[in-house]
Amino acid sequence: MSLPNYVLEDVFNAINLGLIIVDAEYNVLFWNDWIFKRTHIKQAEAVSHKLDSVFSEPLSVTFLNAIKNTLEYGLPTVLSNALHRSPLPLYDLSLQTDEKTRIPQAITISPLQSQQGELYCVIQVTDSSTSIKREKMLRSHSEIFKREANTDSLTGIYNRRFFDEHYKIAFHSAIRQQQYLSIFMIDIDFFKDYNDYYGHLKGDETLRAVAQALKSQLFRASDLIARYGGEEFVLILPDLSEEQAEKFAEKLKNSIFNLAIPHVNSSLFNQVTISIGLCAGIPQEEYDILGRADAALYLAKQQGRNRCVMLSLL
Amino acid sequence: MTTIPKKLLIVDDSKVSRMLVRAQIVAVHPEWTILDACSGEESISLVEKDPPDYCIMDINMPGILGTDAAEIILKIHPQIRIVIFSANIQETYQSRANALGTIFVAKPVSEKSIAIILNHFQCNN
Amino acid sequence: MQQLNILSELQCDALAEVFNIGAGRAALSISEIVNDEVKLSIPCIEVKKSTEINAEILPLPNERFGTVHQDFSGPFEATAMLVFSEENALEIVRDMMGSQMSLEELVEFEQEAMCELGNIILNACLSAMADMLSISLSSSLPCYTITSCAEVINTITGSTDQDYVLVLNIVFTSVKRQSEGHLILLLSSTSLTNLIKHIDRFLGNI
Repeated sequence: MSLPNYVLEDVFNAINLGLIIVDAEYNVLFWNDWIFKRTHIKQAEAVSHKLDSVFSEPLSVTFLNAIKNTLEYGLPTVLSNALHRSPLPLYDLSLQTDEKTRIPQAITISPLQSQQGELYCVIQVTDSSTSIKREKMLRSHSEIFKREANTDSLTGIYNRRFFDEHYKIAFHSAIRQQQYLSIFMIDIDFFKDYNDYYGHLKGDETLRAVAQALKSQLFRASDLIARYGGEEFVLILPDLSEEQAEKFAEKLKNSIFNLAIPHVNSSLFNQVTISIGLCAGIPQEEYDILGRADAALYLAKQQGRNRCVMLSLL
Repeated sequence: MTTIPKKLLIVDDSKVSRMLVRAQIVAVHPEWTILDACSGEESISLVEKDPPDYCIMDINMPGILGTDAAEIILKIHPQIRIVIFSANIQETYQSRANALGTIFVAKPVSEKSIAIILNHFQCNN
Repeated sequence: MQQLNILSELQCDALAEVFNIGAGRAALSISEIVNDEVKLSIPCIEVKKSTEINAEILPLPNERFGTVHQDFSGPFEATAMLVFSEENALEIVRDMMGSQMSLEELVEFEQEAMCELGNIILNACLSAMADMLSISLSSSLPCYTITSCAEVINTITGSTDQDYVLVLNIVFTSVKRQSEGHLILLLSSTSLTNLIKHIDRFLGNI
């Protein structure tokens, strides 16, 4: 037993999904009620017309290209709501307002071949506004909580807790693989004076700017930056020679200097600067690489700030 | 139509790509001399020794970019007609090619793309 | 070693050219979405027996991966998987969406945006293959999953009828960052033979 065609059409009109079928020349062959309700264009007005001439607004190039590619290669294409928002001019027409905003959509374009070998395109449109909410609820508990627990809320980089975990892994992996490990301890110079003069709001802003500038120097998946506490940051980079590590520290220092954030209470340059303590080497179980980096930071402060001091592991 | 045999240099790191280009060109101009190079650096030193009339240049190769090689070649031999022929079809590469005074043609190698290239070589300035 | 002989140097070069054309097309599509220059390069291609796949092929074994699959068929059949570390996937998606999105919002969109990104890259490679090898391919819709490395490896080694894998490294470079991923094609030995047949036909036509 099979469904008669007129029942199929009712089914297509009953489903909660937009459905448009076009042929290889972009002529509309089918247009379901879901689309009608969101355009007020009847199927009869759309059928046999070119898809891009049916709507009163022009269609996006991406959307038309997607159809072209689907027809040319017979490969299905998806257009996500995240990257395209609302490719088709569809509106919630049940709202009696003058303000018209397009419905957020996700679109799937699939090729279809008739037994005679003719190619068609099936365009499915879903309203993303509901799925966005659903997904939000499903995901929020586990994943977001985990991310937030690892993130420093002020600067958006990793927090101390995450660093401590990561450090253990990186330290042991360096021992195992006999690989270099570099720790950079960073402190903003005269930050207390900065807060006293500019206030805490400005201070927070500067912390964020410094965190972002330091983070933007990282390019490898293996590298990590975290806020260590107060105005202190820590970076951990595996597999750099001492020379490379020193060069990298220089880059970090310059990245902050080049921000040129004014700091009238800094006796150095009248702008925000950082001091860096660096320790690099192939670690062994008993070495305290963090402690050495901290000691190096102390020396950098002693020697006049806005500089990097490196100590070896021993 | 004058039929002085021309000399063409194909620069591409892919051997298959060089073979394809060569085959398409030979089909139209069996009398041409065709040289090839697999990097920008090699193309520059080849041009020094034996400047060709035309050059087809890929962009992404080990070593310097094809567009940079083209710039260096054109400085010394502005008369060589160069086509930048690449799979990297973004606007920035096309405009870079145009800025050098070359044209950009998108890969793949096909009768159509080769026809555009030949047309550029043989049209008047 | 035997796996070196599965494809000759010339066959490998031909496949590399096919995928480079695909990568160029994908980069163009992505750059149109992000309104900025992006580069996709495929520096190396390897064919391996699926039993040889282990954690060393996929770096950072502790991490979780975002994987987009499409099954395609035609003169040969394969499962195509695009694999990025979850963190890289998120960063790419963040760059593609451009705005200053919170992590919370980002997680919501990750799945469908990654699905589309995978669809763009896989379709571009398949269409380049169709064009250059003069064949026609059809494909399932993309689907996105987040899995551990072990699960990815299990999928590859556990698929009993797909004995071979074609592993391509993909380097995705945008103005802001460089991320590495893998494009993996799982092929049965019949499909691999057919693929090689088509490559040879293509080379024979030159």
